Amino acid sequence: MRMESGLRSTPKRRFLSGLLGGRKGNRICVANPTSIVSVELMEKTGVYFPEAHLDPLKMSQLAASGCEILGFDSIMPEFSVQQEAEALGCVVDWGSPTMMPDAKTHPVKEVEDLTIPDNILEKPSMAVVLRALEILSRTYGDRAAIVGKVMGPWTISYHLCGVQDFLIWTLTEPEKVKELLRQLKEVSITFANAQFRAGADAVVIADHATGDLVSPKAYQDFLLPVHQEMNRRIGGPTILHLCGNCSDRLRLFVEAGFDAYHFEWQVEAKMAVQEVNHEMSLIGNIANKNVLFGGTPEDVYKQARYSIQAGVDILAPECAVPLQTPLANLKAIVEAAKEGYGAQGLQP
Amino acid sequence: MEKEEVESFYKALRDTHLSTMETLVKECIGKGASPMIILNEGLIGAMAIVGQEFKACQVWVPEVLLAARNMNRGIEILKPELLREKLPSKGTFVIGTVEGDIHDIGKNLVTMMMTGAGYTVIDLGINVPKDRFLEVIPKEQPDLVGLSALLTTTMLKMKDVIRAIRQSVSNPPKIIVGGAPVTQTFADEIEADGYAEDAVRAMELANRLLSRGG
Repeated sequence: MRMESGLRSTPKRRFLSGLLGGRKGNRICVANPTSIVSVELMEKTGVYFPEAHLDPLKMSQLAASGCEILGFDSIMPEFSVQQEAEALGCVVDWGSPTMMPDAKTHPVKEVEDLTIPDNILEKPSMAVVLRALEILSRTYGDRAAIVGKVMGPWTISYHLCGVQDFLIWTLTEPEKVKELLRQLKEVSITFANAQFRAGADAVVIADHATGDLVSPKAYQDFLLPVHQEMNRRIGGPTILHLCGNCSDRLRLFVEAGFDAYHFEWQVEAKMAVQEVNHEMSLIGNIANKNVLFGGTPEDVYKQARYSIQAGVDILAPECAVPLQTPLANLKAIVEAAKEGYGAQGLQP
Repeated sequence: MEKEEVESFYKALRDTHLSTMETLVKECIGKGASPMIILNEGLIGAMAIVGQEFKACQVWVPEVLLAARNMNRGIEILKPELLREKLPSKGTFVIGTVEGDIHDIGKNLVTMMMTGAGYTVIDLGINVPKDRFLEVIPKEQPDLVGLSALLTTTMLKMKDVIRAIRQSVSNPPKIIVGGAPVTQTFADEIEADGYAEDAVRAMELANRLLSRGG
């Protein structure tokens, strides 16, 4: 058997190399920092939401289908953004096969309302992720990159306090916001490190101070120091997931010390590559709305090739894919990657 | 209203203290200004400036939410004065985020703007099934219905809701749509009566659609 470009021909090598800015190998890695679960994938595996959010075996089976059925190089088992929220006291509606979970209550109105349990990792909604990562690491650790995910303190605050109240407090009570972030970052750090111990190769930190909601200054004032500390204290590679058009704050994410940034189609890939200048890897950025969900495999292929040529380090959907995304479109990302870099992409 | 006065309403909308707005509205009432002018030219006029700034990326969502909160407080204080003038409601507006979608910031902003503009607003909340719209519309006889969606998948539901309303309601109300992924082209495709890209424009659109030539 001919080994193409030697060392970097396995999914895990491709992923780690792309994530840490290493050798390019024969082709780009295809990974999913956020959920790629679709209704079709649930039907094929016989594992459905909401059970897959709360049962470690089901969670790992559904996650693994991204690698087994679609051919992605990574497996990421956390599909919802509410695992920490429930552990911290929100009542969560875990949804259905066509509806993502949602926090129904926002119990924190003042800093004093926040209690972080000592045994938070044992809370069922968080423990399930750790158990799923252990299963995946044992079963797929030699074949695929195992990716964990935690919510950052900004996102957890949305759930605990309600998005509207929390955003208004950034103006009216900035000290309260800072204190909430200071305390909640401990949850993110603890959970991330536990995920590494459970077998994750990298952990996504989803912190939705999105480009469409808040200013770069708000990121700089409230989150930058928090993210810097998180990256100092989390022991493995981190990927920031923060949606919206963040073209104006890419350098701040570099400054925060993330190994990679998972970004949207709205951020122009060529510009982003230039802007971050290999100081942080870029993962993305196939558009969900018009391409993965609303387009054809040909549309996906074109956009994937564009991202590859632009110099993106790891190819991925821009965000959690809509549940009705056709499987053929997700597979088209992998097909585009298999064609290698092309003449332009081989340039440094 | 003088430009300077509109400016002071603008400052009160941007102020992190509710008391600034409270004092301003009370002062205007005290000076004998018409409540309608305070509402339309002061509060709504200043809010339109915030809307423009948002569109130009000079302010962000927290600033808009703060302005909406402050505007609501102003309206609360103004309400007894407006009622004294026995102003008729400009019309009834039913609004909801469509089924499968749980996002409500945009919808809430539209609700606040429409309430402020003098409409009677019936807010059905989030994740509203088609049948709920069909139950409320014949009962409340709204002049206008607003559908909101933030997700690419749920915005498709708008089409079903629009069709169902037009099929099952005699003399159906006008229907407007909005939400981050929604565009004018999409609104045209699903045959909505109108589309607005933000809350201020939604209110202006409502005024246009319902102006019946006096």
